[in-house]
Amino acid sequence: MLGEKMDRRVKEAIRYLGFGKNAADDRTLSMISRSYKELEREASPKHICRVFEMSVTGNGEIQAGKLLIRSRSLIRNLQGCDKLVLFGATLGTGVDKLITRASLTDMAGAVVLQACACAYLEEYCDECQERIGEELKMQGRYLRPRFSPGYGDFDIHYQEPLMRMLDCAKTIGLTMTESFMMTPTKSVTAVIGASPVEERCPVSGCEACSRKDCPYRRN
Amino acid sequence: MLKERLGKELLFFDGGMGTLLQAKGLEPGELPETWNIKHPEEIREIHRQYIEAGSDIILTNTFGANALKFHDESCSLKEIVESAVGHAKRAAEMADPCRKVYTALDIGPTGKLLKPMGDLEFERAYETFKEVMVFGEKAGADLIHIETMSDTFELKAAVLAAKENTSLPVFATAIFDDRGKLLTGADVPSVTALLEGLRVDALGINCGMGPEQMFSVLDQFLEYSSLPVIVKPNAGLPKQRDGETYYDVSPDEFAEAMWRIAKRGAVVVGGCCGTTPAHILKMTEKCRGLSPVSPVEKEYTVVSSYGQSVFLGEGSRIIGERINPTGKKRLKQALKEHDLDYILREGIMQEEKGAHILDVNVGLPDIDEPALMREVVQELQSVTSLPLQIDTVDVRALENSLRIYNGKPMINSVSGKQESMDQVFPLVRRYGGVVIGLTLDEDGIPSDADGRVRIARRIIAEAEKYGIQKKDIVIDALAMTISSEPEGAKVTLETLRRLRDEVKVCTVLGVSNISFGLPNRPVINAAFYTMAMLDGLSAGIINPASGDMMKSWYAYHALMGFDSNCERYIREYSAPQQGQNPGLSGTSKGTEVSLRMAIEKGLKDEAHAVTAEQVQTKAPLDIINDELIPALNQVGEGFEKGTVFLPQLLMSAEAAKSAFAVLKEKMDKSGEVQEKKGRIVLATVRGDIHDIGKNIVKVLLENYSFEVIDLGKDVPPETIVNTVLEQKIRLAGLSALMTTTVVSMEETIRLLREKAPECRVMVGGAVLNQEYADMIGADFYGKDAMQSVYYAEELFQGE
Repeated sequence: MLGEKMDRRVKEAIRYLGFGKNAADDRTLSMISRSYKELEREASPKHICRVFEMSVTGNGEIQAGKLLIRSRSLIRNLQGCDKLVLFGATLGTGVDKLITRASLTDMAGAVVLQACACAYLEEYCDECQERIGEELKMQGRYLRPRFSPGYGDFDIHYQEPLMRMLDCAKTIGLTMTESFMMTPTKSVTAVIGASPVEERCPVSGCEACSRKDCPYRRN
Repeated sequence: MLKERLGKELLFFDGGMGTLLQAKGLEPGELPETWNIKHPEEIREIHRQYIEAGSDIILTNTFGANALKFHDESCSLKEIVESAVGHAKRAAEMADPCRKVYTALDIGPTGKLLKPMGDLEFERAYETFKEVMVFGEKAGADLIHIETMSDTFELKAAVLAAKENTSLPVFATAIFDDRGKLLTGADVPSVTALLEGLRVDALGINCGMGPEQMFSVLDQFLEYSSLPVIVKPNAGLPKQRDGETYYDVSPDEFAEAMWRIAKRGAVVVGGCCGTTPAHILKMTEKCRGLSPVSPVEKEYTVVSSYGQSVFLGEGSRIIGERINPTGKKRLKQALKEHDLDYILREGIMQEEKGAHILDVNVGLPDIDEPALMREVVQELQSVTSLPLQIDTVDVRALENSLRIYNGKPMINSVSGKQESMDQVFPLVRRYGGVVIGLTLDEDGIPSDADGRVRIARRIIAEAEKYGIQKKDIVIDALAMTISSEPEGAKVTLETLRRLRDEVKVCTVLGVSNISFGLPNRPVINAAFYTMAMLDGLSAGIINPASGDMMKSWYAYHALMGFDSNCERYIREYSAPQQGQNPGLSGTSKGTEVSLRMAIEKGLKDEAHAVTAEQVQTKAPLDIINDELIPALNQVGEGFEKGTVFLPQLLMSAEAAKSAFAVLKEKMDKSGEVQEKKGRIVLATVRGDIHDIGKNIVKVLLENYSFEVIDLGKDVPPETIVNTVLEQKIRLAGLSALMTTTVVSMEETIRLLREKAPECRVMVGGAVLNQEYADMIGADFYGKDAMQSVYYAEELFQGE
């Protein structure tokens, strides 16, 4: 593991744990490093993506294949894009079991594990996105930040068609409960716009959110 | 007919359906099954092509046809299944009349994850499969083919549904990844153990990989399975071009690889995603005439869970005995109070100490054992992947838990009594399992080895009538205490030897019975354990937390060459045993650390040690008031001010908990009672399966002497209201994580207001805020876990 990558992981976990700008203590740090070791062992990250031609219909809906999405915030995010990548990723059921187990014997450990799993998942999604970006770059397309159902006014119910179009259950074992929760819980679904024009410094992740007073905010 | 041909000749499946439909215009996300109605001629044409290519078995276009996945207004599920079977049969009839072509009802996964990992109830999955299978059999299918399963639990639901509701042969295949595992973690031996236990007719692999990648998984199936093996690969690994998935193994390459797969030992072969009639044609041309490798009967005694399998026979296995209330006061209390967390912790502890299998016995008078057994088994399987040994004399409890057990369990037990065998063997036959046979019968326990061996033979012979083989029986030679039976140990050891050498069957013992009534029992137990292992004990039911027993176990395996290079022994005993906590641990024996400091710093082991010391001289209540409460307050305030953070708050909470445990033990002994401040119900609302937030609140409330009734996650409003009414609860805490589940939080509050207007409601969770909480009518919104403690303190003050 490269020092830099580990560094970023630890920082992200500390942020998720609510330390804000404060330094974490040694015991929390040691729990974080133990958690990542356990995650390396128990996680089986998998992802799936499919690229669709994208257009905006006359009545303001985003169309990709048979999928129609109505969302102002997503349209803003996809300004100028002509392709849409549907994306799904999961860390697998092993991580859920690990967290359930920890919350029975060591609640502090469970909380740290939970935070590290979130950071681990984001890191994995970033890596996948980078690879997808490289492939699309060869076709002269540049990726926008990924955008998930539940962000802004992009309704969580779009998760269902999105997962169906990716055949997530079969391909990566990602399913959804009746209340649209993803199972395994450490999972992501998202759409990623691709445009012929490269955006300068696209704002992504945490910084893209409008809640400036959030205690978990990165900057 | 089909069953007779299985394994005696090579049988050919067809190839992909989805990929062909996509080529004909099926859109991503469109339900392929609707094509049975919308484009019947296309479906029949595909079947026809496969039959012409030489397929003996063709799959109906029903992979996703189940009530959970299939929602289409234009046609009913029944119509879909009937038309699908009809198309296949019609195509088969039109083929060469001299050749029998079988119609296999294709069953794919529901697309949902089963509880406890997901929200689908096992029985609902079962009903979903049953519905389709009953339609399919009526419509004339010749067999049921369950495929692309990535979860053993769902696989079990599907196979049970097929076996219990139809009389058709059942084939079952699963989808493995490049590590040779299912998405939910099972390896080949576990899948094999499960499916053989459920008595399918053939099993194997499909999808996920191309033929070349399947060899290592195939080899494992051939090594562990006694049944005919099915192999249905994709046309290579999926690739993407312009957003489309494609497969690029050509028909010739495919046929060549399938020829090697059939040579290796697969007896039913075909193709999955990306394979076409051209692939199948080449395959049948190439493989026709190849004589099949007949499946070989394997002699493994194996039990499994969703994630691993344990083989008996080599060395001796440890069956953890701690989850059994006999003689265990604390466990009895936990069972009575429905404190499942305690039971689960006992399970985790035994796994960490080295157990291979966990015995589970929850039998107590006045307890609903069938319900509790089922619940404990299911919960244990959400935290440990060790196979379980279901230990009960209640036949209903046995059946309940066998049904929902995810894997092939150990069953404790059957005896030589006819009545016992009549009750237990049908269940073993139906659900699979390795059953312990006790060497006792209507006349009691024979006092000599002859008698016990005779009963063992009778049990084995009776089991055979049910098709249960000797490899699925483990004989308990019975250890009788030497304090009343001077020859007891000798008889037991002789029985073990003769069972191993003459009967050639695996054995088990409840080892510690041997010393009952004697002082310093571990001395006798450990020595007897070593002797028993030497005389062939396949598995000992022991306490893995006992250092003496584990020493015997490690030493025996090192001495007898079951521990290569003594690796396990060295790992276990080379390093001095240390505390778990990094930080101040080891600096002192605790005397220099005050209890207050230990809690503030979150040092669990120290808090435990210091309390144990203090309790010798100081009253527990004084310790609570002088040290524990001030420390907790200090940490709580720090959390408020932003100088203490969540992990630290919880480390302190855990430290306080370990101190409380010491105090409680002391107070229980003296009959002293610490008043609880009040009882609070906690639940994550229906539809919501995230419970970490609720668990944090629970730990803190308990720290502050509240009694918490934890209803768990995904709790229906009615359950919460009923608990509140029955137990006269004044405060309920509800947690929800998503906008979609706040709806059921609102519903719960509405129902509580109506039926239990005195009960206050506090809420918390990621999506909530004060405004939202007001909108759904909560009394209090806790932005963090400490707030709920403060609210509860305020509410219960002065009572």
